[in-house]
Amino acid sequence: MSKTYRAVLIALACALLALTVASCGGDDDDSGEDIALTGLQEGATTTGACAGEPVKGGDLVYARQSITENFNSLKIVNGNGDIFANNLIFQGLVRTDPKGSTKIEGAVADKWEVADDGMSYTFHIRPGIKFSNGQPVTAEDVKFSLDRFGDPKINVTLAAVAVGYKGTTIVDDETVRVDLTQPVPAFLYNISIWPGFIVPKDLVEKDEEAFFKDPIGTGPYMVKELKRGSHLTFEPNPNYWEEGKPYLDSLRWDFATDSNSRILALKDGQAQIADGIPFSQVNSLKNSGEFVVQTAQVPYFVGLWFNHKREPLADLNVRQAMQYALNRQEINKSIFHGVGTIPNSVLQQLKYDAPPSEVKPYPFDLEKAKQLMSASKFADGFSISLKYPAGYDYYKQLGLYLQNAWDQIGIKVKLVEADQSTLVDSFYKGDYDMAFPYAQFTSDLPVPDEYAQFVAEPRSGLNGFFSFWKDPEITKMVREFVSNPDEEERAQQWPEIQKALNEQTPWINVMDLPFIIAHAKNVCGTDINALGSDSLENTWIAKAE
Amino acid sequence: MTRYVLNRVALGLVVLVGLAIATFLIIHLVPGDPVRQALGAQAGPEQIEQVRDQLGLNDPLPAQFWQYFSNSATGQFGDSFVQNTPVGDLVGDRIAPTALLIGYGLLVAFLIGVPLAILAALKPNSAVDHAARLVATFSFAMPLFWLGLVLALLFGLELDIFPVSGYETGVGGILKTLTLPAVTIGLALTVIVLRTLRSGLLEVMQSDYIDAARARGLSERRIVAKHAMRNAVMPTLTIMAIQVGFLISSAVVIEQVFQIPGLGSLLVESVERRDYEVVQTLVLLAGATVVFVNIAADILQAALDPRVRLAGR
Repeated sequence: MSKTYRAVLIALACALLALTVASCGGDDDDSGEDIALTGLQEGATTTGACAGEPVKGGDLVYARQSITENFNSLKIVNGNGDIFANNLIFQGLVRTDPKGSTKIEGAVADKWEVADDGMSYTFHIRPGIKFSNGQPVTAEDVKFSLDRFGDPKINVTLAAVAVGYKGTTIVDDETVRVDLTQPVPAFLYNISIWPGFIVPKDLVEKDEEAFFKDPIGTGPYMVKELKRGSHLTFEPNPNYWEEGKPYLDSLRWDFATDSNSRILALKDGQAQIADGIPFSQVNSLKNSGEFVVQTAQVPYFVGLWFNHKREPLADLNVRQAMQYALNRQEINKSIFHGVGTIPNSVLQQLKYDAPPSEVKPYPFDLEKAKQLMSASKFADGFSISLKYPAGYDYYKQLGLYLQNAWDQIGIKVKLVEADQSTLVDSFYKGDYDMAFPYAQFTSDLPVPDEYAQFVAEPRSGLNGFFSFWKDPEITKMVREFVSNPDEEERAQQWPEIQKALNEQTPWINVMDLPFIIAHAKNVCGTDINALGSDSLENTWIAKAE
Repeated sequence: MTRYVLNRVALGLVVLVGLAIATFLIIHLVPGDPVRQALGAQAGPEQIEQVRDQLGLNDPLPAQFWQYFSNSATGQFGDSFVQNTPVGDLVGDRIAPTALLIGYGLLVAFLIGVPLAILAALKPNSAVDHAARLVATFSFAMPLFWLGLVLALLFGLELDIFPVSGYETGVGGILKTLTLPAVTIGLALTVIVLRTLRSGLLEVMQSDYIDAARARGLSERRIVAKHAMRNAVMPTLTIMAIQVGFLISSAVVIEQVFQIPGLGSLLVESVERRDYEVVQTLVLLAGATVVFVNIAADILQAALDPRVRLAGR
């Protein structure tokens, strides 16, 4: 090879490298890391193009991280991919505030009364409410739907929300009464989510399978087409009961499970809104000045579960030492790019939670951690494994961080990466030491009743939600809390439980996280409810100025 | 010839049976239970057992395998438990994008690879030769998902020629949405076409019969096109047939990057959910494709070159 050729080759190689490196690193400017977090927005935009009244019209494409597989509310197969689609098609008697508070408001029912003993609820069906095909919602439909909700053979995956359901009686054409076997203060929340959605009795009875392929509900949108693995198109429900809503002419969900693809689609204008924005992309998207990065506080946390059958983890001193050894400021900054919130509870952020001034988060205190370790039965340290879900860069980083942090108090952590199916399988079988059991660990309800019973009610059969932890004191407190119909008393009881759980720290909540979406600046009314579901009936597109 | 073909087909069937057994064992023995996965944390042990019974998952493994095997052999692939849909429908829904992607990718590889190989072979060790091989090797060495993303950034986002992801039907839609993914796969394969064809041509071009053709005063173009290519292309065909496996696995990656609703993304989703029937069917389908293409290449080669079929005796 002559010298000239060699030089040409080298130049060519350099040019190629430069081209590719430049085009992929082009707009990743992380220099503004420390100050960047001020610009994150909670809740929908109400300024700029979105300052005026909502206008009708427009087509919206939403790049979604979870694929929708089916519309059967009682047979959710793909988590939020299915649930969030169901939320647009169907509604329950009541719903949580579409704008994100934990307030309950009417949906299919517009009014209801609760008996003084909390043992029965009377619902009045909203006058004139119709399903999307135009047929009126009847008391028969409501009874049929709630009986399905209350039948654990049909409502298999979320039977816990039907706790205490006795039956529904039709009082008259517009009124039903639901009787309970015990007071269930969270009952309205329980029927507000998907297992309690109202469906037309005649159509479901005629051919259930066909019905859920082409579903009919009272929600703001109807399904136009589901192309498996590709996209889902909605059209507005012409019979929707909220005056003037939905605003959009059409809505399309493009499934893009890969986060890079979602961001690219957004930047390219193929989609105007995208969910599941990775922490590492928040700053570059925001700094581009073209998009609004919006966060929603939802019951979503980085739960690190302990198996109490492993002796060291059954030792309170050890567990508390592990808490004190974590520098959460550092974790938040370096791994979650500042979007997390330092928790003062070992569960998700839930209604009735006391503020950090009342229940204190564990501060970073290495000295205290070391003292607690030497006071424990494992003063010489121990070795233990941590299983985490594969395919998420931040779990890998977190694993390495924890390994290093706990090494300083004599705990040797062995990291084990596992795919999600393998991970939950071993979790449910109790075949783990420590685990991040779910990549996205959320509560189904905004109130603590569900998870409080999962973890502290032995009758749930879940063994302290697979931790094998038990504490009769806390169980007693939880039982009082979940059966107390008095709202004010509940609001005082929960912080006590929160505090007791936090002190016991049966497992660790590393960080509370928000859901993060990003959208073009003229996409307005992007409300997200308290469970992270997009209230797309409120979404509208501002005309170009 | 008939005997040779029968020989190859019989061998292919043995491979497929082996593949069926291996896939079945791997997916059943790997931890993770489709029922548990679908029903979630709260489902009680009785409910799980009941569903497992219904699905026959509590039968002994050999019985389950026999069930699967006999059904597959008669073209019945069962129902996806998770999606509650016949596997045949799921595959039918999503086979077109994958088949088109692979075909288009191959076409790109040949369209780029063949002319470059001829140029390189005619002027070995020239600047063109080195540059072509360098670029081709570079794109082969890049991880596919990365190459795909770079192309999407460049031709989708910066130059705005193609969409960055998605899939549309119709000739226009396919050209629009599948070009970037096909170029990604094609670029990765180009090096194989280029290198095998180049060395094949180089060897052939030095043989006596080419000298003879030159002596007869045939034009260089005619020599290459008519005389040299026919012999030089053989190893390329064989190697491309072997690369079908690579193509299928590329489709799995590329479909994720470009969000193409094909069999590759279906496979990834199904493995995550332990959707046994779908995974088994897809792997078997991929295996059958590889076996079929290889047999076809063998037969083609035997037809072109009598030495091959005689050696098979």
